[in-house]
Amino acid sequence: MLAYIIRRVAQSALVLLIVGLVAFAMFRFVGDPIDNMLGQERTAEDIERLRAQLGLDQPFVVQYYRFLENAVQGNFGVSYRQGRPVIDILMERAPATLELAAVSGILAIIFGIALGVFTAIKRNGIAANLIMSGSLIGVSLPTFLIGILLIYLFSVELGWLPSFGRGDVVDLGGWSTGFLTVSGLKALILPSITLGLYQMTLIMRLVRSEMLEVLRQDYIRFARARGLRDRAVHFRHALKNTMVPVITVIGLQVGAIIAFAIITETVFQWPGVGLLFINAIQFVDIPVMAAYLMLISVMFVGINLIVDILYFFIDPRLRVDRKGGH
Amino acid sequence: MLRLLCTAACATALVSQLPASAVAKEFSWAVTTDPQTMDPHAVNSSPVLGFLNNVYEGLVRRGKDMSIEPALATGWEPIGEGEGWRFFLREGVTFQDGSAFDAEDVIFSYERASSPESDTASWFAPVSDVVKVDDYTVDFLTNSPNPIFPDSIANWMIMDSGWAEANAASRPDKESGNYATLNANGTGAFRVTAREPGLRTVLEPYEGWWGEAEHNITRAEMTPIQNPATALAALLSGDVDMINPVPIQDVERLQGNPDVNVVQGIEARVIMLGFGHQAEALKYSAETEDNPFGDPRVRKAVAHAVNVPAILRTIMRGNAEPVNQLVSSAMRGYSEALPGQMAYDPEAAKALLAEAGYPDGFSFGLKCPNNRYLNDEAVCQAVTAMLAQVGLKATLDAMPVQNYWPELRAGNFDMYLLGWSPGTFDAEHPIRFLAATPNTEKKLGSWNFGGYSNARVDALLPKIQSEIDDSTRQGMLDEVAQVLQDETAYVPLYVQPLVWGTRSNVTLTQRPDNFFILRWVSVK
Repeated sequence: MLAYIIRRVAQSALVLLIVGLVAFAMFRFVGDPIDNMLGQERTAEDIERLRAQLGLDQPFVVQYYRFLENAVQGNFGVSYRQGRPVIDILMERAPATLELAAVSGILAIIFGIALGVFTAIKRNGIAANLIMSGSLIGVSLPTFLIGILLIYLFSVELGWLPSFGRGDVVDLGGWSTGFLTVSGLKALILPSITLGLYQMTLIMRLVRSEMLEVLRQDYIRFARARGLRDRAVHFRHALKNTMVPVITVIGLQVGAIIAFAIITETVFQWPGVGLLFINAIQFVDIPVMAAYLMLISVMFVGINLIVDILYFFIDPRLRVDRKGGH
Repeated sequence: MLRLLCTAACATALVSQLPASAVAKEFSWAVTTDPQTMDPHAVNSSPVLGFLNNVYEGLVRRGKDMSIEPALATGWEPIGEGEGWRFFLREGVTFQDGSAFDAEDVIFSYERASSPESDTASWFAPVSDVVKVDDYTVDFLTNSPNPIFPDSIANWMIMDSGWAEANAASRPDKESGNYATLNANGTGAFRVTAREPGLRTVLEPYEGWWGEAEHNITRAEMTPIQNPATALAALLSGDVDMINPVPIQDVERLQGNPDVNVVQGIEARVIMLGFGHQAEALKYSAETEDNPFGDPRVRKAVAHAVNVPAILRTIMRGNAEPVNQLVSSAMRGYSEALPGQMAYDPEAAKALLAEAGYPDGFSFGLKCPNNRYLNDEAVCQAVTAMLAQVGLKATLDAMPVQNYWPELRAGNFDMYLLGWSPGTFDAEHPIRFLAATPNTEKKLGSWNFGGYSNARVDALLPKIQSEIDDSTRQGMLDEVAQVLQDETAYVPLYVQPLVWGTRSNVTLTQRPDNFFILRWVSVK
């Protein structure tokens, strides 16, 4: 078992190395940071001097090696744009993204399951059909457009909610939270709906089809035959069995929510790591881009690693397979 | 989904019943690009200089009409026969941390701003020495007579030597930053009370400011909003009081809205087409082995083939002005004598091409940025279509500006689009950067990517730089403008518009340099 885990960890490390290499190789297509850092009245000497100072005159492999060497020590360098350590900037921005992701994830799960169950039980009702058609909009409209539509409806036309930003935040020892102020909570509503809508539709459709499947099973019929109430049949028997695949999908979507946050954060000027990344691309802020991509890939690789190890414990067949060798 | 929307809406309807804690005279505005730094000498870019003009001050400053007026200097006069300039400093000025301003701070700021670590060193290239005469008099000695020196340092801001030294910020550091990157201590009308890069920057009036306040703001907050649709929504919903810029395509719609005002003006930036003058052969052409753009007749044909009024009507929606030279009419040294823009005349273009030996035209590559100037890619597409009408088959290659400058520096173009805004607000500036023969040692022609070269222009430039007499100087500027037009060194197209949007209770002043000066803002 230990060998299996070690092998998995080693594979994960290799994946990270390759992701880093690919990401780093792509930076040269994003453009040249030098022009953004120097003004209009720069000279060729200024350009060369700054390039040498930043180590950009070094071969690509050397730059990557230096990046790895520092990254292993937790040093992601200094942002070209802000002139501050990247790790500080990421830590400042992380709470915004994590809070947004958490709220939209919870919204997506609650509404997704509730609407999924509803549309499965009342599958021929008018409301259920409306919800099903409406959910098509959720999956087919791009996040960007949904965000803009919500802003125009609730901020410009109705004036109920702020059009951008995070509202007032309270600092809790290095973690800035928007949960404790009215403006912070109001600011969360539109972006979290925008970010969660796709996941909600996904969960809703999955719950619905699983539920319909389960409701056709014999044991549901027997339960009904025994005279159990609809409520007990639906929630105690049917929903429970529906949840296994749903939970797997939700787990996988956690990473996607954080990664997709880039678009939502751009539309709402939400001060999280996604917006930071987009700004970094525009400015060719290589240290920030590199750190962000590594962070996201560590997260994905980490989730997969945990899932793999869990499977190992849950599913005895895996262990048998491994012993048999390939 | 409908239910979801209703739930969210109903919940927020309740929340919004709470009383708004709005205090009068607070002002907030959105910008596209957050200033990279609070250090006035680290980065020479308009987001930085424009913002810091509210916090720091120079010896001189620009008024509402861009003219030079006293700031930390109460007056200045030339020394002898053009040996330099003497500045008389304002007494009783204090920095925002309370320390006094005197000649030491001027000398310190000169050394700091002209150091190699600084991005503003080029402003001081003509300066040979700076001498303190007494605590409130400073002499700037120049290598040769320099009539526009006071103009050229309008954005040079004075820092407190004691503050900078105490905080280990004696030199700017744009690679890793220092205390001055995030903190500011100027003499200006506003001080920075909170700075969160990329999120918000808060300004409050500096009580000890020497000047008389023309504004009525008690607190101002600047937020970067990159997405134009979001910025527009923020203005329409009243979340911000001012945005810059308003997307051109939304101007008409905004003008019909009573809650907002559109403030329009002409920017200093001239948009032009440039050529690869010195290339041996076209880089992006199948059929030619020579470089047709080395022939002035071909360049003139391009000028005749581009229908600038049509571009302004359709793409810029009537918000820009045509231009016939490298500076706009708002700049010092603009050539009134020069005939107007070369007329749209496709027949003349064809005739010129035939005369130059290209009756059937030729194909070439046009490079263009797609995120630098207003509607830049759309303009290039229109230019491509217009050139095709006379047989010039351009292959358009549009790219983000981050990739654009390296391509131009590497000479990977046959023709390109460029916008130029003269930092000195003087016609000498584009001649030095765009028309002088490139010379690294003399720091000339550093943006003359095509290598345009004309002996007469090169000979006139140093004379223009040192001529004290205004009319003699203007005569030389007129001559250069005439040479550049005769040779069609560039094809000037139009002056980019400035379009700001404000809430209707806000009055402000717009300057052609696109600087937003907070002390001219009042909120009703």
